[in-house]
Amino acid sequence: MPLLELKNVTKAFGGIIAVKDVSFSVDSGEIIGLIGPNGAGKTTIFNLITGVYKPTEGNIVFDGKDITGASPASIVNAGIARTFQNIRLFNKLSVLENIRTVLYREADYGLGDALLRTPKVTRIEKKLYDKSLEYLEVVGLTDFIKNRADSLPYGLQRKLEIARALALDPKLLLLDEPAAGMNPDECVDLVELIEKIKKTYDLTIILIEHHMDVVMELCPRIVVINFGEMLMEGTTQEVQNDSRVLKAYLGEEYANA
Amino acid sequence: MFLQTLITGFSIGGIYALMAVGYSLVFSILNFSNFAHGTIIMLGAYIGYFLISSFNLSFPLSLIGAVLGAALLSLLNLRLAYNPLINRRSPSLYLMITAMGVSIFLENMVYVTVGSHFYSFPEIFKQSTIKFFGSDISPLDLAALIFSLISIYALHIFLTKTKIGTAIRAASYDMTTASLNGVNMTKLIGIVFLLAGAFAGLAGVFLGVKYMVYPTMGWITNKAYIAAVIGGLGSLPGAVIGGLILGVLETFVSVYISSTIRDVFSFSMVIIFLVIQPAGLLGKYLEEKV
Amino acid sequence: MDYIYGVMAVICIEIIATVGLSVFTGFTGLFSLGHAAFMAIGAYTSAILTYFYHVPFVLALLSGMLMSGLISIILGFPTLRAKLRGDYFAIATLGFGEAMRVILENLSITQGARGLPGIKHYTTLPVAAIFAVVVVWLTKNFILSKFGRNAIAVREDAVAAEMAGIDLFKVRMLSLIYSAMCGGLAGGLFAHYLNFIQPAMFTSVLSTQLTSAVVAGGMGSITGPILAIALFIAVPEVLRVANMWRLVAYGLILVLIMIFRPSGIMGYHELSFEWIGNLFRKKNCNKIADKRRT
Repeated sequence: MPLLELKNVTKAFGGIIAVKDVSFSVDSGEIIGLIGPNGAGKTTIFNLITGVYKPTEGNIVFDGKDITGASPASIVNAGIARTFQNIRLFNKLSVLENIRTVLYREADYGLGDALLRTPKVTRIEKKLYDKSLEYLEVVGLTDFIKNRADSLPYGLQRKLEIARALALDPKLLLLDEPAAGMNPDECVDLVELIEKIKKTYDLTIILIEHHMDVVMELCPRIVVINFGEMLMEGTTQEVQNDSRVLKAYLGEEYANA
Repeated sequence: MFLQTLITGFSIGGIYALMAVGYSLVFSILNFSNFAHGTIIMLGAYIGYFLISSFNLSFPLSLIGAVLGAALLSLLNLRLAYNPLINRRSPSLYLMITAMGVSIFLENMVYVTVGSHFYSFPEIFKQSTIKFFGSDISPLDLAALIFSLISIYALHIFLTKTKIGTAIRAASYDMTTASLNGVNMTKLIGIVFLLAGAFAGLAGVFLGVKYMVYPTMGWITNKAYIAAVIGGLGSLPGAVIGGLILGVLETFVSVYISSTIRDVFSFSMVIIFLVIQPAGLLGKYLEEKV
Repeated sequence: MDYIYGVMAVICIEIIATVGLSVFTGFTGLFSLGHAAFMAIGAYTSAILTYFYHVPFVLALLSGMLMSGLISIILGFPTLRAKLRGDYFAIATLGFGEAMRVILENLSITQGARGLPGIKHYTTLPVAAIFAVVVVWLTKNFILSKFGRNAIAVREDAVAAEMAGIDLFKVRMLSLIYSAMCGGLAGGLFAHYLNFIQPAMFTSVLSTQLTSAVVAGGMGSITGPILAIALFIAVPEVLRVANMWRLVAYGLILVLIMIFRPSGIMGYHELSFEWIGNLFRKKNCNKIADKRRT
């Protein structure tokens, strides 16, 4: 049984159809790439999966449960976490607090305890602190725990976002252009990081990315989206050799040349 | 009685619409609620009043003076208070707080300098009333309504038929794209504030003629803001429809129920309305991009 | 001496309301223009209880807090649930303040616009000071707990917070209730300090003062707003300024703060010996930020 399944998902904003009849599934432990030209509807698909938008038509099934139209919070709790194309960190919080914030579900104390700061709170907060450190260690940010999130360089902000998503303890991780704005060295670094977290946390990953070398390196299977529709689905090789994909990316003339 | 109430409601609604237009114009391009607009309206009323009473200008000339004066004040407000924030791309919450600050500052400046007197415009229209299907209509109400609708229509023509108008509308959809296409945003925002200010001057004079001129008259503009919200902030037809709806409903409430709860009614209405229709009747899609 | 004593008592009382509002506006990022109404609710509830029903002072204060909290739910439920834009919420609070004034002026038990005289004098400076210290301590604990972090997360990026499973409505509602209850407590203390209350004391002037103090002190600091409200009350007393000039100043302060230092006097810091020490050794932590800018 696939971990995630999209069945004929369509999303229209007024008269504009952003995503049209998209169906694909992801098996547990898989890492698939979601590619396509800018504005093809890739991020909209992430938004549909995570409950930002409700599909106009079709169903989304995760882990055996229908999550179509569920609230973002319940989808996170079901085990889907994501990063954002245009980094969304809690800027004025420190790097460590960014992680500790999303561990709130494990902070098992009530409002009364919090107000009086009972020993229970101190103990749990310490535990969360240590746990946050572990996540930061995985992405290599332990040197910056006291820095404000928005003071980090771009590449490190992306890593912090990944760590924050990991802290939500997901089964499925959606990465939205994690390599955007990175130089080749950083890309190599990122590929290694993604492979590492996938193994450590036993993750299934969907990756939106424009750096083709990153996608080719990581994803054995790729889904191509163009103008909101599924253009094709196949192995890395199949996608690389498909003329339709070239055409979508480069335009008619180049593909024929 | 019913017809009378309806007509009074429409004339108040017309003034609300005139004021609401300014909120909508600024909101459509900068995506924040310019709460200083009410203060500019108040200052417009003062300018109009002093031109007519101290300088003995005729009503049309004073009206023009008020329009020009308010437009300049609006531009000054933008340049001094908002531009530093816009250039820094501050969150819209900051712009709103600044607008609040400007409004509190100017309103109380008028209090401490001009004083809290109520000034009434000299008689412009004769007190006589026109009979219309057995109801008494004051020529002032009628003139206010007609004038409001004509000037808003003129603005509509400007926005749809001229080059600058088209640029403003383009920018209200997407500021980044508009600026990429060579539209000078600073100039455009300036024009929008001039326009909003001109409407503030117009509204101020009509408001002053109808209700007198005093420092906290800007309070009434909170209801114009409500009208803009109901119609959908950022939408011009929305501002007109919202203004008329609010004016009529409110007049009915004060005539048939009680005038003390009139304002409470307006505020409750906007809350209930927003729960049902968060973007207003004709508002643009407000959900944040992810 | 009595005079200084009085000013200090008022400062303590207003610190309670300001700190409460800083949770809502400073930490959760929602703007309010009607928080004086919560002070009014607390003031009237507790004063009516001690005056007409001879309820013990502390119990009356608690009732005032609860009443403010309850009414904040009535305000917050429709407005926060619909995820209204901040602007809309601000106008809703403005209307709420106005509605509260109309209600207080027309109820018979509040004796309308004439007000309630002869309230017992229970709030002495030590009483006000003890309450202020306790509220500041509780608020600090609140902010340093998961509840405070969730609030800041919502302020910083509502979308990201929601995508981390944080319930925006619950977080905002909790902050509103907390700030309303602080306002209610401050109002109750205020009534039993002045021995007389009337609706005209709780107008937009007071709301503006509280909000300006939070903005000027720093949206994201507890000590900043405390410092600001203390200055806002003490400076005009020393200079003996008329009420209207105060408002002129508040307006100007809001504008200048937003233009020159939007994070307020204290920024996101707290006034502490450690922070003052860091002022002199600060440069290190900003190195990365500086590097990025160049």
